[in-house]
Amino acid sequence: MIAESAIREPLVTGGKTVHDVTVDISGRVEQKPTKTWMLAMAVSLATLAVGGYAVMRLVWDGIGMWGLNKTVGWAWDITNFVWWVGIGHAGTLISAILLLFRQRWRMSINRAAEAMTIFAVICAAMFPVLHMGRPWLGFYWALPLPNTFGSLWVNFNSPLLWDVFAISTYFSVSLVFWYIGLIPDFATIRDRATNKISAAVYGALSFGWDGAAKTWSRYETVALILAGLATPLVLSVHTIVSFDFATSVIPGWHTTIFPPYFVAGAIFSGFAMVLTLLIITRRVYKLEDYITLQHIELMNIVIIITGSIVGIAYITEFFIAWYSGVEAEQYAFINRATGPYWWAYWSMMTCNVISPQLFWSKKIRTNIAATFVISIIVNIGMWFERFVIIVTSLHRDFLPSSWAMFYPKWADVGVYIFTFGLFFTLFFAFAKFFPVINMAEVKSIVKATGEKKQA
Amino acid sequence: MKETKKYWKGLEQLKNSAEFQEKANKEFPEYLPIADGEEPSRRDFLKLMGFGIAAVSLAACETPVKKAIPYVKKPVAVDPTLPNYYASTYVSGSDYCSVLVKTREGRPIKLEGNKLSTISGGGTTPQVEASVLSLYDQERLQNPSIDGKKATWDEIDAAVAKELAAVSGKVAIVSNSIASPSTQASIDALVAKYGATHVSYDQTSFSGMLSAYETAFGSRMMPHHDFSKAKTIVSFGADFLGSWPNRTANNKQFASTRKLSKSKQDMSRLYAFESNLSLTGSNADYRTPIKPSQEGLYVANLYNALAKKLGAATVSVAKVEDDAVLMKAANDLLKSKGASIVASGSNDTNVQLMVIAINGLLGVYGNTIDASKAVNLRKGDDAAFASFVKGLNSGAVSGVIFYNCNPVYDHALGADIATGLGKAKFTLSTSDRNDETTALVKYVAPDNHFLESWNDFEPVTGYFSLSQPAIKNIFDTRQAQQSFLTWSGDNTSYYDYVRANWETNVFSKANTIEYFNFDAFWDKCLHDGVFEAPAEAVAAEYAVDAAAVAGAIAKTYSASKSGLELVLYVNNSVAEGTQANNPWLQEMPDPITKATWDNYLTVSPKQAAEWGIELGDMSTQTVTFTANGKSAEIPVLAQPGQAYNTVGLAVGYGRTKAGKVANEVGVNAYQFASLVNGAVSFTATSGVSAEPTGNGFKIAQTQTHETYMGRETVVQETILSKYQKDSQAGRSFPKIATSEGMKKPYAISLWKGHEYPNHHWGMMIDLNSCTGCGSCTIACQTENNIPVVGKEEVLNRREMHWIRIDRYYSSDAEEGDLAAMEKAAENPEVTFQPMMCQQCNNAPCETVCPVAATTHSSEGLNQMTYNRCIGTRYCANNCPYKVRRFNWFKYHDNKQFDKNTAMNNDLGKMVLNPDVTVRARGVMEKCTFCVQRIQAGKLEAKRDGRRPVDGEVTSACASSCPSEALVFGDMKDPNSRISQMLQIKQNEKSVEAREPRAYHVLEELRVMPNVWYLTKVRNKDVESKTEKAEA
Amino acid sequence: MAHTSNYILGVYDDEDVLLKAIKNVREGGVKIHEVYSPFPVHGIDDVLGYKRSRLTIVAFLFGLLGTSLALTMQFGMMTIDWPMIIGGKDYAPVPSFIPVTFELTVLLASFGMVGTFMIISNLKPWGKAKLFDKRITDDKHIMAIDLGNNQLEESAIDKLLKDSGASEVNKKTL
Repeated sequence: MIAESAIREPLVTGGKTVHDVTVDISGRVEQKPTKTWMLAMAVSLATLAVGGYAVMRLVWDGIGMWGLNKTVGWAWDITNFVWWVGIGHAGTLISAILLLFRQRWRMSINRAAEAMTIFAVICAAMFPVLHMGRPWLGFYWALPLPNTFGSLWVNFNSPLLWDVFAISTYFSVSLVFWYIGLIPDFATIRDRATNKISAAVYGALSFGWDGAAKTWSRYETVALILAGLATPLVLSVHTIVSFDFATSVIPGWHTTIFPPYFVAGAIFSGFAMVLTLLIITRRVYKLEDYITLQHIELMNIVIIITGSIVGIAYITEFFIAWYSGVEAEQYAFINRATGPYWWAYWSMMTCNVISPQLFWSKKIRTNIAATFVISIIVNIGMWFERFVIIVTSLHRDFLPSSWAMFYPKWADVGVYIFTFGLFFTLFFAFAKFFPVINMAEVKSIVKATGEKKQA
Repeated sequence: MKETKKYWKGLEQLKNSAEFQEKANKEFPEYLPIADGEEPSRRDFLKLMGFGIAAVSLAACETPVKKAIPYVKKPVAVDPTLPNYYASTYVSGSDYCSVLVKTREGRPIKLEGNKLSTISGGGTTPQVEASVLSLYDQERLQNPSIDGKKATWDEIDAAVAKELAAVSGKVAIVSNSIASPSTQASIDALVAKYGATHVSYDQTSFSGMLSAYETAFGSRMMPHHDFSKAKTIVSFGADFLGSWPNRTANNKQFASTRKLSKSKQDMSRLYAFESNLSLTGSNADYRTPIKPSQEGLYVANLYNALAKKLGAATVSVAKVEDDAVLMKAANDLLKSKGASIVASGSNDTNVQLMVIAINGLLGVYGNTIDASKAVNLRKGDDAAFASFVKGLNSGAVSGVIFYNCNPVYDHALGADIATGLGKAKFTLSTSDRNDETTALVKYVAPDNHFLESWNDFEPVTGYFSLSQPAIKNIFDTRQAQQSFLTWSGDNTSYYDYVRANWETNVFSKANTIEYFNFDAFWDKCLHDGVFEAPAEAVAAEYAVDAAAVAGAIAKTYSASKSGLELVLYVNNSVAEGTQANNPWLQEMPDPITKATWDNYLTVSPKQAAEWGIELGDMSTQTVTFTANGKSAEIPVLAQPGQAYNTVGLAVGYGRTKAGKVANEVGVNAYQFASLVNGAVSFTATSGVSAEPTGNGFKIAQTQTHETYMGRETVVQETILSKYQKDSQAGRSFPKIATSEGMKKPYAISLWKGHEYPNHHWGMMIDLNSCTGCGSCTIACQTENNIPVVGKEEVLNRREMHWIRIDRYYSSDAEEGDLAAMEKAAENPEVTFQPMMCQQCNNAPCETVCPVAATTHSSEGLNQMTYNRCIGTRYCANNCPYKVRRFNWFKYHDNKQFDKNTAMNNDLGKMVLNPDVTVRARGVMEKCTFCVQRIQAGKLEAKRDGRRPVDGEVTSACASSCPSEALVFGDMKDPNSRISQMLQIKQNEKSVEAREPRAYHVLEELRVMPNVWYLTKVRNKDVESKTEKAEA
Repeated sequence: MAHTSNYILGVYDDEDVLLKAIKNVREGGVKIHEVYSPFPVHGIDDVLGYKRSRLTIVAFLFGLLGTSLALTMQFGMMTIDWPMIIGGKDYAPVPSFIPVTFELTVLLASFGMVGTFMIISNLKPWGKAKLFDKRITDDKHIMAIDLGNNQLEESAIDKLLKDSGASEVNKKTL
């Protein structure tokens, strides 16, 4: 086991005992839902319904409900897709990579982060299906099944097909990883259960967990290997998403820097989203002792780093465009910064490159309110990043005769709102019925790193 | 299933087959060629027979389906799935074209140019291509009527006979120019019987030119121009490529002088002096924007310049300043003396006389202009027409018969006619719809559509053509000529009438050794569609008093640049508006402005700015426009090249009673035309004003970006002198940097590539001969069942055309100044670039489709599998040429798209090509190189156990192209036209064009298209860039 | 359950005490049936003398299976069964196959391993746990000793446990 240096900040404050951990976390699940929760859930469901109407019209009337045209064939749909996938990176990344690096501060945040990952990926997955002209066929024709009229298969040259595999693999592996972590905690709740229903439900969910030393040791091996597998997986997912653009011929898309730059961007936005959510959760559930300022500060540092990487990527793109000597490429980038969509480009720059730099100051990086605001700004910026890449590259590509503008219609907004409704509905359900913090893991560090109780 | 039922339901009509047989016989009465059955002519005849039978199936689309009756006897030559072609003639208003009608199971579905006709040159115009849809227009009149009440033909005949007798001597028969001898004869018969007068007018009047020739040559006519012989052409607002009669031939002839090759290193030069940027002007080497009020002076000044050099007497007129270009033109005219054409679109007799004088000086009569041959498509006499209108209002004329014309809408005096009609005792119209004029008459005796009619034509003296029905009457209509004969008491059928007419008048011109009797001759003509026996061109005598004419000109014209002036024009989509209710034409982008579904004031950008018009992405503002004492609120379109202080406005719009497609689209421009000394003038030089209203307006354009941003891999152009020195002049050769230094893009590859063992289809597009007319767009729309999406969707940038013509203006900006390069020059050079799927051999679209819905064929075709497509649109995004089109909505059987008449009503659907799928919602589509035509051609060849011969297989666009700018063919066939012209070299896995002008658009991407472009060569002394530098 | 046996349960509050206790008890010659904890106690498998789990190898083998499956599928579909000219590429565009191959490898490796883990640890939905004391999922560690396979006197074991720092010692028959 790792020896903790004396001066190391405690990861769990308030002199919690192992039992306190059980009580604090399981308590959330056991007590009646609070008014605030009810309200939050109601709002989420309402949003879901409103967005649902947009989705219905889209599928009923056709993609024409969106503002797309002959020149700009993708806009909000794929922007939202990439944005959600990006957000869906933090969870698994935190759990996996930080586990490999034995970063124990992950322990009190990874559960929520992983949940967020899974829900974000679900939202992301909506778009590849909804953006199809014929989703009722596309959702299964995109799988490697023989075509009805003979063995015409899918096209493995297509990055979209790679996406199908990448996203589904990433989703299922993350889900497993998350659930394995949940089993011992479900067992805890099961054994504290006072009424039949929760006893039955959590009994079923806990898979008959008995905390035996043998099982624990296997459990740790599994966790470690899963982490080992999940890490390259996380990196591969956004790499492959970036191939959608990188392997095309469109100036502004056709760029080899995309994989690393997209991954950095994903971590960037993912951590921001985790912060946004955790700051709320910790407030509502009074978990200040588990999710401490130190956690927030450490995550802010990750945000500075990834934010800076993204910033450098933006600049590199311009350099390469100039260096390549390719006319269309050069125009594409000048057009981004000075063309009709300059406002999108500069919002992106401000939100993604400038705002995170504020975290260099310890004052800001340890200020909850500031962190909260910036974390939201960052995700706005990351949405614009994808919008800029997709729309401004398409709207003026090779033949000036086809240059056109993209104007969103209400359905573009509606479907985006739908995914928000979906995301928060799922997240609030999770926050109520699942242990939001990994009890077993936290317990293992209470003694080692918790503050000693004042006797 | 549903379809099949519909197909049969018309047979309901045949309750009594005997009666039906009789009907069928009526169509081709008691004549059977004595010739033996092997004669092709006989087969033709039998085909016709078959038609009647198959065609009746259309006769009543609305009757309920009770039972389906199969053919008991299959009509000869009507084989399901096999098309039949019939030579016929398109006619609409004063417009003419000799065509082949393609029919499937008795339905005309496509018109192709008749290659045998020298008058229409084998090409088509957008109006010709679209007219087949007009045949299936639900809003055509479906039966005769009296006072708006349905009537039978017998009732009509009885009533009309009585009425005519009553108003005898005071009857006028009004029509557009009549190029048909037999029709003229039938009218004359009526004229003779009732002492009537026949007045004809043209929607676009040539009265000025006609009377000029009357004065100078003694015969009132428009002479036959032959542009193929012209080395220098000077046009004063004469849009001979865009709106003149026989413009198909004009395009062909003009283009033939622009083609360049190893053997032909010289080309013609075209000067244009005009106010609006016309199709002709946009093809000019030197174009000068002038005001209509200056035109006369320019013409006179040119005369003087020539006269000085040729030692003739000069005339005294004010000199025009900045006449550099004019003098240049004069010198070129002298250089190519006799091989030149000077033409003017002015309707001012004096200007036309001056033009005659110039042409006379240059001795072109008998060479490029043949005054012994009249163009019978423009015979309208505005003076006569004016007096008719006066008579109508004074009561001198109390009976009117309108023969397929709509003067209330399309004549300057329309309003007076409308009032006059109230006073007339007897009014009758034969129009095909209840249009602005027909709505005001008592008797409506609807004429057949030309595809349902027998007729003959003599568009130009000595050139004849026939028109035969390709389908039986869809509605209870009767051919107008038949009506005329009936009313004049002659009860021979019009078919017999035409035939008799030919026997007496035309057969005599034929070489009788060739045809042993008239039947043989007739069958041959019917088969060919044309019979041409032109007389030799002669240098006719003429007399023009130049001095007197100059005097008149000096009075009416001035060099001043002040004061707003109006020039009405005919665009090449809706044209004169006769077919305004045709959605294909409404949605066809104007060749110059690329606007659809509207007319608008074309205003020079400078002026638009002065008026404070806020211009955005397709958004503009309207002005209250006043001319000729009439006002209307009209949107403004900033048009580079528009002469400052002039505005242009297209006629053909603002219909109120044409049908649901055309009504309320744009404003009627004819109301702004006025009678100036006896001729309808399309220009207004005084009393013109425009008041900005500040009201916003959106004009749906398919192209909003003006310039090509100096991208040499897109458009490659040069000037003649440079080309003559280096045939590769203007080409750009992109190179890719590799570890072994710079390389040609095609020298680098990850892959082995594929070979195309059997055929390798390709296309060559000569930017030099493409005049931008847009026939290909509509030809493609007809051939490939391309939906019309309506103004809203065009505004959403979702038009569906598979082939578009990119129109680029030149820019004065410095290379690199991107912002400035977006703006067109004040008087720009224009480049037309037809753009369709490039059928890339390394297609980026294929790679990215997740379901392999778009793949490459072993014949080099980029195939689109509609029923496999799931609509991710990734292919369209990844297409560098942006030629893929997506079905955003369900365009067929959808009330929201009821303007897409070809897919939204039972009758309209008859026009659909059964060989091409109507695409479902949510799938991608694009140009297929007309794969259905390729397959048909291959099958034909296979049946005869041979390879397809070159020209047998061609795409709709290429076959429609009047200037033969598009050449389609098999690059594997070393003798094919395309292989020859491109000097194709077949490598194992790629083709190479050795023609120095041939290039691939965006070569650097290495997508290896199968479409080659030939560089644009302008016949200028110095490139415009250097010109600017010098200036 | 067919046969029941009697257990002595040592209850411990602290993992460090527990670890020492296990040493002592084993040195005392007592066979430990199993130790139950609310959280993974580091180093416990050494003192209990458990061998390292072989799940790693399982994961590797499943990964291998994934790789071969992916390659067979892609070559089978694009090169052998239905070759088509796509973007001028060869019928076997190997670079295009890399992403899918990677993803399937990871997928099968993870699922194979987790599946195996579930089976060998007898974890399944609605699975019933064999619990000596509910508190082991809260904050107590339990050392279970099966009297059946221990010669020592019950009292001796009892004492041994108490000495090793057990907060309480219970009996349970299962």
